[in-house]
Amino acid sequence: MPILECRELSKRFGKTAALDNVSLKLEPGRVIGLLGPNGSGKTTLIKLCNGLLTPSEGEILIDGEAPGPKTKAIVSYLSDKEYLPDWMSTRQLMDFFEDFYQDFDRQRAEEMLLRLGLDEKQKVKTMSKGTREKVQLILVMSRRAKLYLLDEPIGGVDPATRDYILDTIIRNYNPEAAVLISTHLIADVEQVLDEVIFIQNGQILLQSDVDSIREEKGMSVDQYFREVFKC
Amino acid sequence: MLSKLLKQEFRATGRIMLPVLAALLLLSVLGNFSIRMMDQNVTNNAVLRFLFVFLIIVFVLGMFAAVLMTLLLMITRFYRNLLKDEGYLMHTLPVSVHGLVWSKLIVSLVWFVVTGLVVTAILFLTGLIQSGTNLGELMMEFPSWAEIREAMAEAGFRGSDITVFLLELLALVGFFATCLHFYAAMAMGHMFNKDKILLSIVFFVVISFALSMMTSLLAFRIDSLELYVAEFDSAQVLGFMNRLLRFSLIVELIQGALLYFATTLSLRRGLNLA
Repeated sequence: MPILECRELSKRFGKTAALDNVSLKLEPGRVIGLLGPNGSGKTTLIKLCNGLLTPSEGEILIDGEAPGPKTKAIVSYLSDKEYLPDWMSTRQLMDFFEDFYQDFDRQRAEEMLLRLGLDEKQKVKTMSKGTREKVQLILVMSRRAKLYLLDEPIGGVDPATRDYILDTIIRNYNPEAAVLISTHLIADVEQVLDEVIFIQNGQILLQSDVDSIREEKGMSVDQYFREVFKC
Repeated sequence: MLSKLLKQEFRATGRIMLPVLAALLLLSVLGNFSIRMMDQNVTNNAVLRFLFVFLIIVFVLGMFAAVLMTLLLMITRFYRNLLKDEGYLMHTLPVSVHGLVWSKLIVSLVWFVVTGLVVTAILFLTGLIQSGTNLGELMMEFPSWAEIREAMAEAGFRGSDITVFLLELLALVGFFATCLHFYAAMAMGHMFNKDKILLSIVFFVVISFALSMMTSLLAFRIDSLELYVAEFDSAQVLGFMNRLLRFSLIVELIQGALLYFATTLSLRRGLNLA
């Protein structure tokens, strides 16, 4: 059974269609890139999967269930926003995650914090933007979730942090789980992807294995992306 | 999960309300000291006299500010925690919207009651201190609840227990309905893409108007509820009070339920985090 399935999914904001009749399936054990230019519908799709938006038409099934408290227990979500309460320290945030998510692995989180030299007692409001993003990522990747939905996890960080983030994703995700990474920075994520979904103007243009693209098109995903989305 | 949400909510609000209450207690000590100093004309020093008057004013304003703070916190917690960026964290927790809303309602109620009790205690103690009354003696003279009830019954107010219970219930339901009035307006205003705060205010006004209309329409039934007193008689007044309270309670319950439905539906179906 697919871990995520969208059936004829549409989302409109007024007259604007952010997603238009999207159907796709994600299987467990894969790292999938959701690739598209800005405003293509990536964040809308991820928000819909998290129950942060309600579809205008169609349906979403996560492990066979519509988004709700049950699916939220198995989905680990990284927003493109800084959403951690700024008065909390990293330790308090770990307590929070441990309280609400049964699959939160505190030891794993503490190890990652230690490796990055991050202070558990530091409050979010005193952290730099980069540190906040690292803490958010550590919390999200320390869950043993069935589906990881990562919205722009490498947007706006320096190359060293970018490498660390991708390394963290690859080394920490549950092999039984699927990871969906949304980004427009293809070259940086290409190395970790098994599969890609190209999205434009709210429509899926392509869902394919990375290897198939390389073999059939004779070019990297980044090169193929540039060709497909040429202005 | 509600207990976990309550724990988190108390932690988030306690870091503001506990210092506020501690500051209020400190102000009450300084305020009482200043009243005593002014009362006894201890000094003619203009600076010191200004300071005492200033402290008395701050003490009085502080009590209002503390109560106001609980209401502001009720509004800002809902707004910041559920409708702004923190909403990305809260709405992706494996909890229901009902849990999120009830945790806010319960914690707001607790802080409102605690602050109310603290302010009442401060006013009571200030009265005692300034009048020089001994608390022990006062407690000895203070009638017990049984004695109060007996006195009420003698005055013809038999069955006043129900009135007290109805009053307490009305205060509770009324508090929740007031919170939900703000919550519903904010949740509805934030369903839109732009001008979310302006629209929240518009919804607040529209809801206020709709609730007033509803109360007025229901009040037309006032005759059938026999909400009048034929002659001034204790038993009749109490009966009138009870009927009026029951009527108000029903109105508040209906309005609270509608506002709760509007809040949860807007959060479930219309959530539109920026």
